[in-house]
Amino acid sequence: MLKKIKVEDAIGTRLAHDITEIRPGEFKGPAFRQGHEVCNDDICHLQKLGKNHLYLIDLADDEIHENQAATILAQGLGGEGVRWEDNPKEGKIGLHAAMDGLLSVDAAALAAFNMVDEVMCATLHSHTLVKKGELVAATRAIPLVMKRAPVERAAAIASQHGGVVSVKALKKAKVGLVVTGSEVFHGLIEDKFAPILGGKVTDLGCVVTGISFAPDDETLITAAIRSHIDSGCDLLLLSGGMSVDPDDVTRKAIHMAGAQEMHYGAAALPGAMFLVAAINGIPLLGVPACGLHHRITVLDLVLPRILAGETITKKELAFIGHGGLCMDCPECSYPHCPFGKGM
Amino acid sequence: MQLFEVLLESSAKAHGHLCPGQIVGVRMAMLGCRLIGLTEPTRRDQIKKLIVYVEMDRCTADAVAHVTGVKLGRRSLKFVDYGIMAATFMNLETGKAYRVISTEEARDLASVYAPEIAEKGPRQLAAYKRMPDSVLFRVQKVRVNIDECDLPGPTRRKIVCSNCGQVIRDKRESMIEDRPVCRPCSGACYFNHAREVSWPDMNWSPGEQTPANRTNRDGDAGNRRFAIQ
Repeated sequence: MLKKIKVEDAIGTRLAHDITEIRPGEFKGPAFRQGHEVCNDDICHLQKLGKNHLYLIDLADDEIHENQAATILAQGLGGEGVRWEDNPKEGKIGLHAAMDGLLSVDAAALAAFNMVDEVMCATLHSHTLVKKGELVAATRAIPLVMKRAPVERAAAIASQHGGVVSVKALKKAKVGLVVTGSEVFHGLIEDKFAPILGGKVTDLGCVVTGISFAPDDETLITAAIRSHIDSGCDLLLLSGGMSVDPDDVTRKAIHMAGAQEMHYGAAALPGAMFLVAAINGIPLLGVPACGLHHRITVLDLVLPRILAGETITKKELAFIGHGGLCMDCPECSYPHCPFGKGM
Repeated sequence: MQLFEVLLESSAKAHGHLCPGQIVGVRMAMLGCRLIGLTEPTRRDQIKKLIVYVEMDRCTADAVAHVTGVKLGRRSLKFVDYGIMAATFMNLETGKAYRVISTEEARDLASVYAPEIAEKGPRQLAAYKRMPDSVLFRVQKVRVNIDECDLPGPTRRKIVCSNCGQVIRDKRESMIEDRPVCRPCSGACYFNHAREVSWPDMNWSPGEQTPANRTNRDGDAGNRRFAIQ
């Protein structure tokens, strides 16, 4: 229960909550913390902050303070690879990445959590690459005092799959590259694919263990795939030959090499002719020619997820569709743009 | 208690179709029984411990009754017409009672729990199976003051309507000017303009052919004799 008193009468009482001060362009934060004992010198400062009255709190058995609520909520929300301090400020708790990695958000649980009255949680987009210590989510109880039961229900909803936000470290994979195309193999043009793909995987902490070049011959491409797998790669990227021309045989070669699963086609532009396959659990990613032209393609959406241990199937490639259209900006600002954020 | 899918199948069959309300009802009953400590509510040693108050006459109510085995005629099923998707499960032995309320937001959340299904009905079916109890329900611990005349078992009291002579059971009479009257005589009743009538084949009894068949054999003599008034 809350009792309203005049600020002049509050001397000797303890503040029920943090009191925020905003000095535009200069400062936003708590001017006074919860529990602070109000003294004579504070009155003028409080009045300058627009506080002519303060609350005294007398909690009933089934009520909790916003800070207690924030702690319960954070306990439910924080999953693997996420850390937070039990030190709510202005009723809020921030959840941070405990390591470099890929953020995963249980969007269904987050939506259900936010449908509970008087609680909130906001997160970064799922599948965002984050650095250790980066803020990935924040939560708070909205009123100063609330019933314990809905807070606990919201926390239970949040924890249904081990927490709404989790961060998984990326595997430092040994990556094989197979660059297909007779024009490159025979030296008619210079290969540009290997440095691009190599750069993308090394940027994510992987190591390129070998690069093979093969002409548009399914038998030779198959042999290159098998050679990489036999030498122990964790991930194989193939470029070219993913389109509809009669010379595009990479898909056939992947099949001949023993792919147990193949998903051809992704709901993204650029990257519609992307392919995901697997041979004995080793993922194979077929990168269409758009990877040469565009700085960012569907590969950049899928690769971190593969390295975070996610299995990419038809469903994942289909769900990329919402937000899967690159705006092809004159200056690419990815990842600070909508591309791939609709999942 | 049987597995959810088994209960759902039998409940939908008894109800007549599978719908989101069936899923909510089966899960509501499973949760309610769990909360009051009944593992096999339809088993002989538990069936008399259970009373369920359903607050809606929708598909969910049938599923709750099916899973728990409560019945109107056993007085273990109480219908309180609140128009709320909720039911209270009471253990008569312990006095514990929990009111399980289906959340309205579950409907809005179907699209995030089953985003791969475009059609509304199938999406709700899939989503309501996937949602955890915490999303599908809110629960209140409640106290139910149950009158002895509402308990299962024999009729506790009979009284005669001072107006029409109708026997009224278990305190359902109204008192008007200190005299007991039945609900129809009190005027607070769901029908009006009641008048007694005769009807075709008034003397039919089980063991005879059905009135319809006899009419085929005998023509419509009975109908001529007893026209519906």
